[in-house]
Amino acid sequence: MLANQPSLTLYFLPLLQRFWPGFLPGQYRAQLVTKQWQTADMLQLSLKVSTRWPGFVPGQHVLLTLQHNGRYISRPFSICSPLSLWQSRQLIQLCCKINRTGEFTPLLHLLDEGAVVTISQAQGNFHWQQPAIPAVFVAAGSGITPIAAMLLSQRHWLAPVTLYYRMRGIENAALLKDLQQLATRQPLFTLQLSDSLTAPAETLQQQLGADLSNQQFYLCGPQRFMQQLHNTLSQHGVTAERIKQEQFGLALPSASGSTTDTLLSAHFIRAGFSTTVTLNSQHSLLQSAEQHNLAPRFGCRMGVCFQCVCDKVSGQVRDMRNGALSGHGAEQIQLCVSQPVTELVIKL
Amino acid sequence: MKLSTEQFNALEHELDSVKQQVQQQLGDADARYIRRVLLVQRLSALSGRVLMVLGFITPWLWLVGVLLLALAKILDNMEIGHNVLHGQYDWMNDPVLHSKRYEWDIACDAGSWQRTHNFEHHTYTNIIGKDRDFGYGLLRLSNDFRWRLRNLWQGGTYLLLSMLFQWGVSYHELAAQRVFFGKKKADRHTQVSDSELKKAFFGKGARQLIKDYVFFPLIAGPMWLWVLCGNLLANLLRNLWTSTVIFCGHFTKEVHVFTAAECEGESRGQWYYRQMLGSSNFTGPTWLHILTGHLSCQIEHHLFPDIPARHYPAMAKQVQAIAAKYGIPYNTGSFVRQYSTVFGRIMRYSLPGGAKAVKGL
Repeated sequence: MLANQPSLTLYFLPLLQRFWPGFLPGQYRAQLVTKQWQTADMLQLSLKVSTRWPGFVPGQHVLLTLQHNGRYISRPFSICSPLSLWQSRQLIQLCCKINRTGEFTPLLHLLDEGAVVTISQAQGNFHWQQPAIPAVFVAAGSGITPIAAMLLSQRHWLAPVTLYYRMRGIENAALLKDLQQLATRQPLFTLQLSDSLTAPAETLQQQLGADLSNQQFYLCGPQRFMQQLHNTLSQHGVTAERIKQEQFGLALPSASGSTTDTLLSAHFIRAGFSTTVTLNSQHSLLQSAEQHNLAPRFGCRMGVCFQCVCDKVSGQVRDMRNGALSGHGAEQIQLCVSQPVTELVIKL
Repeated sequence: MKLSTEQFNALEHELDSVKQQVQQQLGDADARYIRRVLLVQRLSALSGRVLMVLGFITPWLWLVGVLLLALAKILDNMEIGHNVLHGQYDWMNDPVLHSKRYEWDIACDAGSWQRTHNFEHHTYTNIIGKDRDFGYGLLRLSNDFRWRLRNLWQGGTYLLLSMLFQWGVSYHELAAQRVFFGKKKADRHTQVSDSELKKAFFGKGARQLIKDYVFFPLIAGPMWLWVLCGNLLANLLRNLWTSTVIFCGHFTKEVHVFTAAECEGESRGQWYYRQMLGSSNFTGPTWLHILTGHLSCQIEHHLFPDIPARHYPAMAKQVQAIAAKYGIPYNTGSFVRQYSTVFGRIMRYSLPGGAKAVKGL
């Protein structure tokens, strides 16, 4: 009340940031200790996290926030290092796939060692729930990161575990050395590599289908890959409760778009001012709003962080992650994973 | 219409490209600038409040404290609050400087301001019957309004409005919606119910009153009366300044006024044209521009309300050149000159008769 801001911390933020660059309320500072290429496009960052950071469950991710051109931008990254590294040395490691044409990840490559970045609390509920039951892990591409953290963190092995690790060319397998070491050290752990350049997806599906008894499945990889696996497992009678998965990346169309896409109109109400824009039904509302210079608040851009939640006044949207349709009335939606289905009125 | 359709389209194109040029270069420099202003604002607010208490050493400290607090409030309301609430810094994705989150040190609730000012005033600038900012329903500023007896003493009304300006701004939406007095207007639409308006008005107002006239005096102990008077004075200085700046932006002698009929179905080029005719600038040094929140460049602000205001002085040169090219009057002058025409206007129309401000587009 005294500060006209939601909290005194926000009121004093300009002062606090003078003394602690990178300070953000509700976030934690982390210092980049080393960065190292795991593969040609996977950069591993070792971060020394603040002592205030409350820790993580292996399999969780953090939002990494940077300032670029005066804007705060953030993306989620899974922690790929074992719990013991954080417990003993306050270090966490993130394995980040660098998309050279992207907005965010090329900046990670430019960070100097010693630079201060901002991370969130660990988030997400993808973790190894019952280590006493035999389990199968399937990882594809950068989907290996949360799974590596789960496996490398495990101290007491109780049941056999198989990891199917699918990658495009063996030289593109991040964290491979650590996992191979684990396989030689731990007899209950089997590592099965599957190279998509030589082995078709069906081979992996057959391998999986061969032994389905009494097992839990942990899947992590690109959207399409996981959809296929999920279908295969369902066909073999694996119930949904036995499958845990974490989605990586969102299949966003490029901003240019093709002319065949449906166009819909929407009224964005921002700062009391209504702007009517034409939306491409294949784009997320966040992309469209940004193309029209409306600059809504955003975070991870994949439905994780809930910073872009806005009030939809009317109209229907589709959740891009699973195709679910919303109602037609007033409700809150996440702009980054919502596509327009009908005409919309949205308060930014 | 003084310009042809082709000319309006060309005008639209030229002004759009002025805007686009600036939009493309937004970045670190803008972020650094607004954060620095925010830092200065915080430091002057804090030191001002402390110095007022130290007034027991010498009253001069108290006076400096009052001036610093007034400066803090002016910066908060003008260069920071007004501009942030317009969404000028939304692109920064900042936890404080975002139109959806910012709340300012003034009696008016930020949401109410966005509805009446950003939407109503900026869309329907100077359209009689649509933009209540032209005279605020209190002052008769042209012969397009019928003379009433109360206009006779509108010089006094103006002085009172200026002194209590933050409350006028805060009450603005409630007056338009006839929440307490008058008959509801059938043609007014709103997304907000009367009870929500009242809640925001009394809630924000009470918070401001308690802060400046209860909390800070209380923690000042024996200096409570000094602090209370100091806060009152700081609020008064801020009210007078903001009111003066805003009057200079819209009520100078040359400013144009429009009827709803002539603006029906206007193109974007025509909207730009109307914004240029309906606003006025004043010149001055950089510090003066900052203290006005760059509303000294009211014309540019009305053309480009969501461009970070520090770019307005540079854009003004381009806009003025474009105005000259199309023969559109560009209303600017020194602060003293512009303000004297405002005052002259208020006094002239307190008497019956006078010229009509609607000249037709």
